[in-house]
Amino acid sequence: MSKSFRPDVDAPEWRGGYTPYDIIKEGTIALVVVAVLTVALALIFSSPDEHAVTIKTWSNATPVDFAQTALSELNGTSGTAQYGAPYNTASDGQKLGPLSLAKWVGVHQPVNTIQDFVIDPLTALPDQSALTQALDAWRGATASTRSGWVDNYTKAATQMTYAHGQIVVPATNAGPVPLFINDLTMMARSGALDQALVTQHGFYTTNYTKPLLFLSDGSYLASLAQKDHLLGTQWGMMNETGSYPGQAWLWLYTFWYQVTPFSTSANADVQVWGVMMLLSVVLLFVPFIPGLRSIPRKTRVYRLIWREHYQNL
Amino acid sequence: MSWFNSVGALINLDHPGHFLHWHFIQVSVANALVMTLMVATFVVALLAPFPGRRSRKENR
Repeated sequence: MSKSFRPDVDAPEWRGGYTPYDIIKEGTIALVVVAVLTVALALIFSSPDEHAVTIKTWSNATPVDFAQTALSELNGTSGTAQYGAPYNTASDGQKLGPLSLAKWVGVHQPVNTIQDFVIDPLTALPDQSALTQALDAWRGATASTRSGWVDNYTKAATQMTYAHGQIVVPATNAGPVPLFINDLTMMARSGALDQALVTQHGFYTTNYTKPLLFLSDGSYLASLAQKDHLLGTQWGMMNETGSYPGQAWLWLYTFWYQVTPFSTSANADVQVWGVMMLLSVVLLFVPFIPGLRSIPRKTRVYRLIWREHYQNL
Repeated sequence: MSWFNSVGALINLDHPGHFLHWHFIQVSVANALVMTLMVATFVVALLAPFPGRRSRKENR
């Protein structure tokens, strides 16, 4: 029984001659060429040498921005405090249409910004009698009293300044909050807060989630990223620091962030992910998609590659 | 160590990059250069004759 010939699926039986082909030789040559190129380019251009941004460098460069961010962690207005899953339940998080994907995944990296970013690090400071009393007052106060202190400080914090090594805010009835913000800023400037935020999970300190979240809640890190064209709105995903080439292959992923509706959407992350997953599935199933699978045959690029063969037919 | 440092700094790229802007498109000159080289390599791969073509012809 003979079936009709399907040009995109079937291949005619080859009746011509065969030529030996040494794929090991070609692979070895490719490996050596790439290795030589890698070493040569590394010797000539070296590699990016940006120092890691820490909470210490941030709080020393812009102490008021740090103190304002610390306050936003305390009053619950920071990006992390309002993010939702996987850190907390403050919002539904990223949604793909009616699907609350982030919410379904749930809180698996719990972050309580008041406790984790302010109270716990301050509690770790030794021999601070005034601070210890302030922390006791905070713990002993009712939720409404704490809220009143934080609100009073937040209203006055629009006039926050940094002078003579101290955070200055003309706040009244703010309880222990002024001491918290000032001492946390001092702690950050000394480098102790970096350590306190990464040593909350045992001996080996490889989890940098909390200091990174704290850093990203401020405007300092974003300002550095903007200078190096690393923001999402600057096609930053495909860029590298300095004049080095970056991850050019991520151009399509970052492209979607630049165009509507993604550029104006609060759910852009999951929407762009959805588009890329869809395109990946399309790519995976190209051999089964009529029209798309015919492109190589109709563009006839293969005849250019194997032109010697087709000239002899 | 100092020898490696001096060799590594033959061409120092640790300075602010240059970017090409066209409407909403932003691409660094370094990325544009790499992409151009990739396309050029692809074109060369299409057009350059296969190595060993001459010897294959002679063997026929």
